Amino acid sequence: MKINDNCVGCGQCTAFCKIDAIIVKSKAHITDACVNCGVCAAYCPMKAIEADE
Amino acid sequence: MKAIVIGAGLGGLLSAAKLSGEGYEVEVFERLAMIGGRFTNFNINGYQLSTGALHMLPHGPTGPLAQLIKEVNADVVIKRQDDTAFMRIHEDLEKGIYKDVPFGKFGSTFSAWNRIKLALLLISTRKWSPKNCSLGEWITKNLNMPVAHQMADSFCGWALSLKAADTPVEEAFEIFENLYRHGGPGVPIGGCKAVTDALANVVRKNGGNIETKTEITEILVENGKAIGVLIDGQRHMSDIVISNIGHPFTNDLCKDAPTSPQYKQYLDKIRTIKPSAGVKICLAANEPLIGHGGVLFTPSAKRVNGINEVTNIDPKLAPPGKHLVMAHQTVQWDRIPYLEEEIDLGIADLEQIFPNKDYEIILAQSYYDGWPVNRSSSGTDIGNTTPIEGLYVVGDGAKGKGGIEVEGVAMGVKNTMNIILGEGN
Repeated sequence: MKINDNCVGCGQCTAFCKIDAIIVKSKAHITDACVNCGVCAAYCPMKAIEADE
Repeated sequence: MKAIVIGAGLGGLLSAAKLSGEGYEVEVFERLAMIGGRFTNFNINGYQLSTGALHMLPHGPTGPLAQLIKEVNADVVIKRQDDTAFMRIHEDLEKGIYKDVPFGKFGSTFSAWNRIKLALLLISTRKWSPKNCSLGEWITKNLNMPVAHQMADSFCGWALSLKAADTPVEEAFEIFENLYRHGGPGVPIGGCKAVTDALANVVRKNGGNIETKTEITEILVENGKAIGVLIDGQRHMSDIVISNIGHPFTNDLCKDAPTSPQYKQYLDKIRTIKPSAGVKICLAANEPLIGHGGVLFTPSAKRVNGINEVTNIDPKLAPPGKHLVMAHQTVQWDRIPYLEEEIDLGIADLEQIFPNKDYEIILAQSYYDGWPVNRSSSGTDIGNTTPIEGLYVVGDGAKGKGGIEVEGVAMGVKNTMNIILGEGN
């Protein structure tokens, strides 16, 4: 997954990532641990999480 | 009669609970996979963090939100610890020398002359509310001393996520009046989620329906009246539409909005709406940092406006024996591009306020623009109606005068219900 410019840094996504692959400080950052499951995107109020190409 | 509600946040659920109890057929559509909007919990390592608001109702068990929760028969316990609001005034921030002044006695740190002035102002302003300037300007005129400005910034920051210089003085005094009228804060047992979950239960019990993962792409408007919504290309018809997403986003969904001069005026008003920005820093503490269930205002801090430790009232919001501490700070609009720096300044404040204490940072959360502290900051609120018949806006984008945070949401919903159902419903 990747984060677009919409992200405000509310941190909601981190709670729903089962493998702790999102770090948030002013914006969400996706780490290499991400397995592209896409769960986080359903909880992002800003449509800031997109599938990685 | 049928009502469609856009968004399952606090305002949407309060409206849905009330209308479903009055015999309306109600459908709530929520884009996300969860309900509660910026008023629910999420769990990180056993700590119940909140999506937006802190786990606190500004006017506790006797405020407008508590009254509305009771009115719709939602099952929520709200607890208040009396006399637990303090201002931590630092004489020396570096050395950690401070005193905690009870909120109601904030003037005790003023000079003798300003204490006399304050006593007179407290009487005269309740009779004749000041007008036409910001709270910051009013303080400069009446009580010009740094600590008074710091206290005002701390209070406005905590309550509104605004600087005193950006808070209209009328709004500030209406809030003070509401504090006299309704009393101070309380904690919903179970946190924010207990409130929104209880409201959702009421909606379902009344026969209403709540759909998550369902995005409304258009509000259908015919001859200047809202007639339903569009979801996945399907038309869902209703008699009224209640939007919980603020005026600007609501207008974006009205693709067939009227082109009347009245609607143009509405669009001009929408452009004046300014969402407020803020940062919330959540701490996991191995010992109590505050020791009570109220609010610690921090006027001497550089960024942090206030802090609470709700686990003193509801220990279940953290793992056994631990405490959940949340600090809020305003972010001024021109500082939004420097958010990371703002967060670091907040963290530095907390290190000075709680030296040698055993805690760690769980998460720093930031809010602005489309996911702000308040969709409409004080003074930019344009009310609950729109020029489109049958289309109403509730939530923190349409609160009403003197309404702080979720209390304002409840006041806006109450006003909307009076319009829809008639006064005294």
